[in-house]
Amino acid sequence: MPTRTSQHRPASSSRPTSGRRQQNKQKTKQVILKVALDLFSRKGFYRTTTKEISRKAGIAEGTLFNYFRTKEDLAMYFMEDQIAGLIAWFQGEKPLQRASLAEQLFAIIHRHLERVGPYEEFVGAVYLRMLQPVSKLNPLSLDTQALSLRYLRFIRDLLAVAEEREEIPHMGDIGAYIFALFHMAIITYWLYDQSKGKENTLALLDRSLKVAVSILRKGGWNW
Amino acid sequence: MELVKNSHPNGAIGRGMRMGRLGLHVVGSYLGYQLQNLLLGSESREERHTKLRRNVSRRVREELAELKGPLMKFGQILSMQTQMLPDESIEELSNLQMRAPGMHPTLARAQFKSSLGRYPEEVFREFEAEPFAAASLGQVHRAMTRSGEKVAVKIQYPAIRTAIENDFKLLRTATLPGRMTGHLPVSILKEVQRGFLEETDYINEGRNIDFLREALADLPYVTAPKVYWDATTDRVLTMSYVDGLTIRDFLSRRPPQEVRNLIGQRLLEMFLFQIHCVHVVHADPHPGNYFFNLEGHIGMVDFGCVKKYSADVSELSRCFIDRSWTNGEKQVQRISRLLWGTPQFSRRAKTREMLRSVSEFYDMVYPPPETRRSVVDFADPALLGALTRNFQEAVRNKLCNAEFAFSSRAELGLYNLLHQLRSRVDTRRVWSGVVERLSETPIEPLPAQRR
Repeated sequence: MPTRTSQHRPASSSRPTSGRRQQNKQKTKQVILKVALDLFSRKGFYRTTTKEISRKAGIAEGTLFNYFRTKEDLAMYFMEDQIAGLIAWFQGEKPLQRASLAEQLFAIIHRHLERVGPYEEFVGAVYLRMLQPVSKLNPLSLDTQALSLRYLRFIRDLLAVAEEREEIPHMGDIGAYIFALFHMAIITYWLYDQSKGKENTLALLDRSLKVAVSILRKGGWNW
Repeated sequence: MELVKNSHPNGAIGRGMRMGRLGLHVVGSYLGYQLQNLLLGSESREERHTKLRRNVSRRVREELAELKGPLMKFGQILSMQTQMLPDESIEELSNLQMRAPGMHPTLARAQFKSSLGRYPEEVFREFEAEPFAAASLGQVHRAMTRSGEKVAVKIQYPAIRTAIENDFKLLRTATLPGRMTGHLPVSILKEVQRGFLEETDYINEGRNIDFLREALADLPYVTAPKVYWDATTDRVLTMSYVDGLTIRDFLSRRPPQEVRNLIGQRLLEMFLFQIHCVHVVHADPHPGNYFFNLEGHIGMVDFGCVKKYSADVSELSRCFIDRSWTNGEKQVQRISRLLWGTPQFSRRAKTREMLRSVSEFYDMVYPPPETRRSVVDFADPALLGALTRNFQEAVRNKLCNAEFAFSSRAELGLYNLLHQLRSRVDTRRVWSGVVERLSETPIEPLPAQRR
C-alpha cells in the first residue's frame, strides 16, 4: 500500500525502498508463520488464538491482522511456502534429476509429507477447509490459482522430461492434473494412516506410482 | 476415503487378483500347449514342452517377485527343492535368491527414517544408496559406522507384515498350496505363517544373531554378524559386514575338490551341532544366506528364521543315524508319532514301511559301518531324489508334524547346498565329532520370544 511519502519520491529511488519494505514484510510473514506453526504443533490448530500468535511474534494483534486477516490466509501462505520450498528443494537435488519418474514423483510427495509432518493437525484442518466451495483455499478458487499453476507447471515440466526420455507417452497437461489429484489423495490417506511410522503410506505411494508408470509405459494410456 | 483404502496395494483383494492372474497365465499356457499338442504332430513335442515350461517359470518368477512377501519365500523354497522341479524352473527361480525388485534409494531412505527416526546419513558416516543384495522382505545396503566399521543395513519393505497377513488369509482359502505341493495341511501353513511373521521382526532376528553368534563361537570357521543395536529396529537391522563369495561366485572360481569337501564337512558339522548341541537351527538354508571363501571359511547371514527345537528333534535325528528306531515295536510307534504327528497308520506294516524308507535315506547320508563306505558323495542326485521321495510320500499321506516343517526345510536346504558344492564328506566322522561335543557343557537356551 503506497504511503504519502513514497508518492513524493522520484520513481528511481522508490524502487529499492519498496523492495526492502517488501522484504521486511516477507520476513515478518515468515516469523508469524513460524510462530504459528510452532504453536499449532504444540497446542493444536483450534486451540491456538491470534492473541498468542501475535504475542509470540512480538507484534500487536492489529499488525497481525494486517498480514493475515484470517487463519485461512495463514493457511494459504503456508501452502504457498510449502510448494515453493518443495520446488526449490527438488531442483537442488542433483541425484534426483537422474532418477526414474516413479522415484522423482515419490520423492516430491514424500518430501512434502516430511515437511508438513510436524503440523499434521493443521494440515487436516486445511484439508477440511479446502473441501468447502466457499473457502478461498478450495483448489478451484481464484485465490489458489497462482499456486495451482506454479505447481502444475512444475509437474508438467517434470513429466515432459520423462516423455523425452521415453519413460512415458505424451499426455499433454492432463498428466499434471492427474498427479495433483493423486497427491491430494495421498495426503488424505496419510492423514488417516495409523500405521507405525506411517509406513502404509510409503507402501501405497510406492506401489501406486510404480503401477501407474508401468501402465503408462505399456501403452495403457490411449486416447 | 473408502476408495483410497480399497485401492491399497496390500489389500487382500489386490493380491488375490494378482494371484488369480498368475493362475490364469499358467493355466492358460498349459491349455495352449494341450491345444498345440492336438493340432501339431509329435516331432517337436519335447522342444515345445521345454519352451512352455520356461515361459511358465519366468512368469511365476515375475509374479512372485512382484508380490514380495511369503509368495516370494515360496519361490525360494521351491528353488531349493531342485529335485522337485524341471531344470528350467530351477534356473528361473534361483534368480529370486539374491535379486528381487527393490526399493529405490528415496524409498529406502524414507523407510529407514520412518522406522529409526533419522536418515541413514545422520546415523552412518557413509551409506550406499543402492542395495547390494535383496532380502525377501527387503534389501541390504552397505554402510560405514561413525567409528569406521563396515556394516550391512537391512531395510524392510514398508508394510510387509500387513502384506504377509493378507497373503495368508488368501493362502488358507486359495488352492495355491494344494496346487504347489499336492497336499499342505493347515497346521503346516500355520507354522509357516508364524515363521514368516517372526521374520518380519528384525529385533527378533537381532536376538537370534546374538544367540547363534555366541553358540557357534565353538566353531572357529563360521562367521555370524554382530548386531549394532543402536541402529536396529523391528524394520531396520544393522549388523557387521560378512565377507565372502556367494555360492555362485564361489563355484565359478572352480574351487579345488578339497576345499569343497572341507566346506561340505563344515556345513554338515554346523547343522548337526545346531540340532544336537544348541537345539536351535538356522532354518532358512537357501544358498544366498551363505558366503564362502577359498580357505573354507563360512559366513552366515539372514537369521530371520531361526527355529528352537525340543530335544525330540535331536533324538529323532539320532535314532535314524544310529538306526535305533528298529529297537522294538514301542520305539517304532514313538518315532512315527514324533515324525509325523498324531495321525497313525492303521496298519503297522505301513508305518514300518515308511520308517524304513526314511531310514534308507539316512543310510545313504550316514552309511552304516558294515558297508565300509565312509565318504558320501553329495554330488550324487540319488540322495536328494530319495529325500524328495520321502517328502512326497509323507505329503501324499498327509503326514507331517508341524514342528518338522522348518527342520525339514533346513535339512533339505543343507543337502541341496552340499549337492551344489559337489562335496564328498565323511559323514560318520563328522557325526562322531558332534557326539563328542555333546558331552561338553550344554549351551544356554534361546531366550523366550518377545511377543
